[in-house]
Amino acid sequence: MTELPPLKADLALRLRSVRRLRLRSLWQMLLVLFALALLLPLCANGYWIKTLVSAAAIATAVSGSALLYGQLGLVSLCQYALVGVGGWTALRLSHGLHWPFELCVLAAGIAASATGMIAGLPALRMKGLYLALVTLMMAGGYQVLISAMGFPDGGEGWLGRAQGTDRVLMARPALAESDGGYLTYAMLWLAAILGLVEWHKRSKPGRAWALIRRGEAAANAAGVDVLRYQTWAFGLAGFCAGVGGAILAGGVGQLDGRAFGASESVMLFALSVVGGVYHWLGVLLAGLLLRAVPALLTDYGVNGYLATMFFGASLVHALTTAQRGIAGQWLDGIAALSHRLRGSRVTPGVRHD
Amino acid sequence: MLELLPFLISGLGVGSVYALSGVGLVVLYRASGVLNFAFGALGALGAYVAWTVLDAGLPMWAAWLASVATAMGLSLLYGWFIAPLLAERDSTIRSIGTLGLALVLMGFTEWYWGSSPRRLILPTDAIGIDLADVRLTGTRIISLVVALAMMAAIALLLARTRIGLKMRALANDRGLSAVLGVYVLRVDTVAWLLSGAFAGVSGLLLANIVRLQATLLTFLVIPAFAAAILGRLHSLPATVVAGLVIGVLEATAILLPGFAPFRTAVPFLLALLAIILFPNTQRLA
Repeated sequence: MTELPPLKADLALRLRSVRRLRLRSLWQMLLVLFALALLLPLCANGYWIKTLVSAAAIATAVSGSALLYGQLGLVSLCQYALVGVGGWTALRLSHGLHWPFELCVLAAGIAASATGMIAGLPALRMKGLYLALVTLMMAGGYQVLISAMGFPDGGEGWLGRAQGTDRVLMARPALAESDGGYLTYAMLWLAAILGLVEWHKRSKPGRAWALIRRGEAAANAAGVDVLRYQTWAFGLAGFCAGVGGAILAGGVGQLDGRAFGASESVMLFALSVVGGVYHWLGVLLAGLLLRAVPALLTDYGVNGYLATMFFGASLVHALTTAQRGIAGQWLDGIAALSHRLRGSRVTPGVRHD
Repeated sequence: MLELLPFLISGLGVGSVYALSGVGLVVLYRASGVLNFAFGALGALGAYVAWTVLDAGLPMWAAWLASVATAMGLSLLYGWFIAPLLAERDSTIRSIGTLGLALVLMGFTEWYWGSSPRRLILPTDAIGIDLADVRLTGTRIISLVVALAMMAAIALLLARTRIGLKMRALANDRGLSAVLGVYVLRVDTVAWLLSGAFAGVSGLLLANIVRLQATLLTFLVIPAFAAAILGRLHSLPATVVAGLVIGVLEATAILLPGFAPFRTAVPFLLALLAIILFPNTQRLA
């Protein structure tokens, strides 16, 4: 066997170590999610099961927002509107064509993905702040549209709106008709979506995004089709949101148009940053912050608006001093503890995700 | 034409506030590269303070003063203590930072004053003039006059004063301006103060025209972003015209058959259309 020169050998060793760490992180993610999918329905009461279903659905959508910001530095402020697009599609197909639940979820993902790509296209001519503004305008437009149209609830016509007592709930999958079963089902979809995102990060699109993040000129010079990979990122983020919307619709049974304001998209982005956009743990935390923390505060009789203040302060903190969010701080803490237990020192500034 | 008049007048009232908010946003963006997402929240908090002042039986001028001073003070505090922490980051992150301020202020306002909507009734609501069967209240007249006066004042400040020149220099190139001896922090302070003043006035007027509710007012700034986009985040006259046009079109759209439920989407549609049609948007970002 030919011996590698020392520099190349060192590089190959480091590459192998990074790959091993990444694979370990992927297995950890899947293990944690499968464990949660099995254990949570056994531990939580009815109220908390419903809350956690919403948290899982929102976390699925957050994974798209985190992908755009974490991988490409793009701020999308219409992610919750895309959740609505997915929810609308799933409800319409379920009530109108009685498609199996899984097909409704996939169709919802595809519809939101197409919308996400269309949303992204005019914005691709622009950078940074203008993209945030374009998507905010879209979220504002969607808020008006869905408030006027409402979500399908088993009625006739293209909009599928029913009157009064004729309203029906979306049919759940046969395997997960109970609330507990549906929580497991929602967690499995979350695992699948996070797996899909992680797979993208580790393959060709991930490498292309990393180059684009460094600079579009550099990416172009390296032969990366910038437009194609940016559009792909928008499409994938939209797919995540659409699947999240369908899971949310299945969990609640019906969706309310008034709950899909532009403010929700803004909050979703803010808490994605607070949770941490560079690690799957941040996605889970963002879902919990958006749905479970308000429910927890309600349980303890604490005013929910104190949570909004805390979220705002956390966003400023995350942007100024903790750019990897709560997930990054937790992972650093765990790594430091593990090193201390082993009796070795932590190298400052080394990322452990 | 006569049937349009009430909607036209109503649209001009809201449009003048959109224009005022748009100018407040553009002034700060031009000077410091920050698009203030907390603009609506600052205005909302100022409006609640004004409501408290009026509730205590104090005169209207005290309410105006309290509203504007609160918004200016909070804007300045952010500009002094938080904004410098993000000064080296790109414009998007600097702007997203103000989302944090918006959430803190909105949460505080809802927690302290409650989330139930209130009416902010100003003494000038009771007086007014009748114009072709349309009642134009004193507050609407004041809002139009104040909006026009503030926009004229800011245009003069930017074009004719030394601090205006420095603000324009900073908008052009912050680093180079600093090298040439412009005190960046001092100019930033003025920009945050001015933006706060615009937020205070806009918040009070919107609370009177629409209703006093923190979440609503915080996110009512989104149509003002549309005005700022149409002004290409740079031109004050274009922002003013855009704000007025948005207000008028939004109000008159109610007359279009079948479009009434969607009329509040007018600002967003106009902004998106403008973004698609702008020949070169790269330089704006």
